[in-house]
Amino acid sequence: MRNEYEKQLENLNVELIRMGALCEKVIAGTTKALFSGDAKYTSKSHAVEEEIDKSEHNIEHICMSLLLKQQPVASDFRFVSAALKLISDLERIGDQCADIADMIRFTTSYDLKDFKDLEEMSGAAKDMLSNAVEAYVKKDKDLAITVIQADDKVDALFDSVKKRLIKEIGKKAEDGEFYIDIIMIAKYYERIGDHATNVAEWVYYSITGEHI
Amino acid sequence: MKKKIFKNTILIILLLVVLCGVSIIGVLYSYFNKQYVSSLNQAAGYIAEGVNLSGLDFLTDLNENEKRITWVAADGTVLYDNKADPHTMENHKNRTEIKQAMTSSAGTSVRYSKTLSEETIYHAIRIADGSVVRVSVVRKSVPALLMKVLLPIILVLLLGVEFSAILAYRLSKQITTPLEAIDLDHPDESTVYDELSPFIRKIRIQNEQIQKAMTQLQAQKNEFALITENMQEGFLVVDKKEIVLSHNRSISTLFDVDESVDGKHVLEINRSEEFIDCIKKAIQGIHSEYICPVKGRFYNIYANPVFRNNEVAGAVVIITDVTEKEERENLRREFSANVSHELKTPLTSISGIAEIIKNGIVDEKDVKTFAGKIYDEARRLIHLVEDIIKLSQLDEGEQAVEKTPIDIYDLSRIEIHHLEPVAEERHIKINLQGEHMMISGIHSVLEEMVYNLIENAIKYNKEDGTIDVMIKKKKHRCEFCVKDSGIGIPADQLDRIFERFYRVDKSHSKEIGGTGLGLSIVKHGAKLHNAEIKIESALNVGTEINLIFPI
Repeated sequence: MRNEYEKQLENLNVELIRMGALCEKVIAGTTKALFSGDAKYTSKSHAVEEEIDKSEHNIEHICMSLLLKQQPVASDFRFVSAALKLISDLERIGDQCADIADMIRFTTSYDLKDFKDLEEMSGAAKDMLSNAVEAYVKKDKDLAITVIQADDKVDALFDSVKKRLIKEIGKKAEDGEFYIDIIMIAKYYERIGDHATNVAEWVYYSITGEHI
Repeated sequence: MKKKIFKNTILIILLLVVLCGVSIIGVLYSYFNKQYVSSLNQAAGYIAEGVNLSGLDFLTDLNENEKRITWVAADGTVLYDNKADPHTMENHKNRTEIKQAMTSSAGTSVRYSKTLSEETIYHAIRIADGSVVRVSVVRKSVPALLMKVLLPIILVLLLGVEFSAILAYRLSKQITTPLEAIDLDHPDESTVYDELSPFIRKIRIQNEQIQKAMTQLQAQKNEFALITENMQEGFLVVDKKEIVLSHNRSISTLFDVDESVDGKHVLEINRSEEFIDCIKKAIQGIHSEYICPVKGRFYNIYANPVFRNNEVAGAVVIITDVTEKEERENLRREFSANVSHELKTPLTSISGIAEIIKNGIVDEKDVKTFAGKIYDEARRLIHLVEDIIKLSQLDEGEQAVEKTPIDIYDLSRIEIHHLEPVAEERHIKINLQGEHMMISGIHSVLEEMVYNLIENAIKYNKEDGTIDVMIKKKKHRCEFCVKDSGIGIPADQLDRIFERFYRVDKSHSKEIGGTGLGLSIVKHGAKLHNAEIKIESALNVGTEINLIFPI
């Protein structure tokens, strides 16, 4: 019976890493598509997003059956409950990426090479997620703290993108729609950063038992 | 074992006692039975004779307590009974023994009373007047007898059990103590009874064999560990559930994981799609090879299925760091793409202009201008091809050309002289400072390097700018420095300018001219001379490139 329990916990661990990897994949793919102007990725992005949703349900199921059938206690309970919270943030990241992918078709006719700050921002958000998942895998609470601190950088980059777009939109009013799209994309990245922060917070909680 | 010996001995004793008891009772019972019957017969005969002679008086005078004596008349009426009142007794005509006596002068019968568990033996004799004298005696039955002997039997039994327990205990101890005392690691040292010595010998031999096999195994394991641990490549063994069975040290360094990943899922080592796919395929029985990006480096994942009994039991994964190879490959790809592009552009112009002329659209007087354009483009092509040839020559590496002592100052002066007309067009002043200094080098390559550096300083300078060419001696090295007052290079692109065809300002590259290979040639030339390149640049202030040659 206990053996079965250990197996279920390990399964939950593996599935969580898998879901994290899917999120990393979708954000990397979407970002690449955005800056290369390749609209083909849109459908692929949605496919991965669906996979993430399925993964969320699966993990939810595993958590529920663990809670109901095995009644975990102490750190195991913390791990399972943190997993339940963490997956909803991961799922939201998947959604944000799908939203970005949807916008790519409006931006393909523009060259995004000049938007270095947006590129940097997307990279920072991606790194945050990667590090949050990495912190989970390695049970590294310091790395989780780094992720939480990195959110300030993403927020600052969002501000800089916003300010620049305000200037640009004044100069080239005819491209207004494009700039609005860019600000939305930037906002999505900013949200991804927030969710990655949440993930890191839950990872921290599951390791230490304390809220940061 | 002790218990078993104990149990069996006691069981045997029990069985023996019970069997003995039963058989003794059986034998005695039948013997006493005979005795009983014959003594009864005798008594009956005697009493019958007495009754025959003296009638009832004999019976009343007879003081008999043990036996029951009954006198029955010929019609069955009881005339006398020494144990009961004859008047209350029923007619005895139908009793088996009486009936027998009536017909054949004597009769016997045995009646069993269940309630008393007694047997009554009757013997009847007919006397002269036709009446019958019956004598009966009560005999205890087998159960009753048994009850009597039970106590002694139990006593014997208890004694027997106790005795056998002691015996069994001693016996079992004698058997098992030497067995328990055997030191299985050193069986020879224990003293045992003779019957055990073959086992001891066998154990000893097997011990030796096991020891030998263990040592061999350990040696093999060590050997294997030595190989895998010292491998530059990552080595990973996983089972079919993708659980890590073993990994070497390189895995830990390549993937930045700690030693505890054994027994965990491979996802904990790396979760990239390529890595997992590669292992998954191997577990499905297909050999697979992927290039997988990990933290800015490229790893070649090489996974092979492991078969046991025609079934995949897991996979062996070898991981090599191919970042440099991959980067070189990328550079090469970029280079070919760039070369074809650079070659195509002038050719397209040439072909276009030639086509216009061919079709006669161009006026006679304009032909000259167009021809000039064709000439320019052709020159560009030639320059480009020349540069590519130079580069590929430098790429070949150690040229067979011998290095000779060259005065770098003189060489610089000559090159400055060559470039002065170009500089003057843009009112740029070139200053040469420093001292004569001899370095060992390949003349043509050095010439090319110095020319390229000064040419760049002119090209990327501002109008009325200056260029300082300085030659300084520093310890055992010679520093050749070209400093301009030009447009500068953005800091984030400093490390890219030595790449082939790399242009900082791509949109104006055509106006400035050049092939984009100049600095690449400088870099390769420096490598050939073991020289170090240092570059400092500030936007709109200027760039300073230092070549530091060993003397």
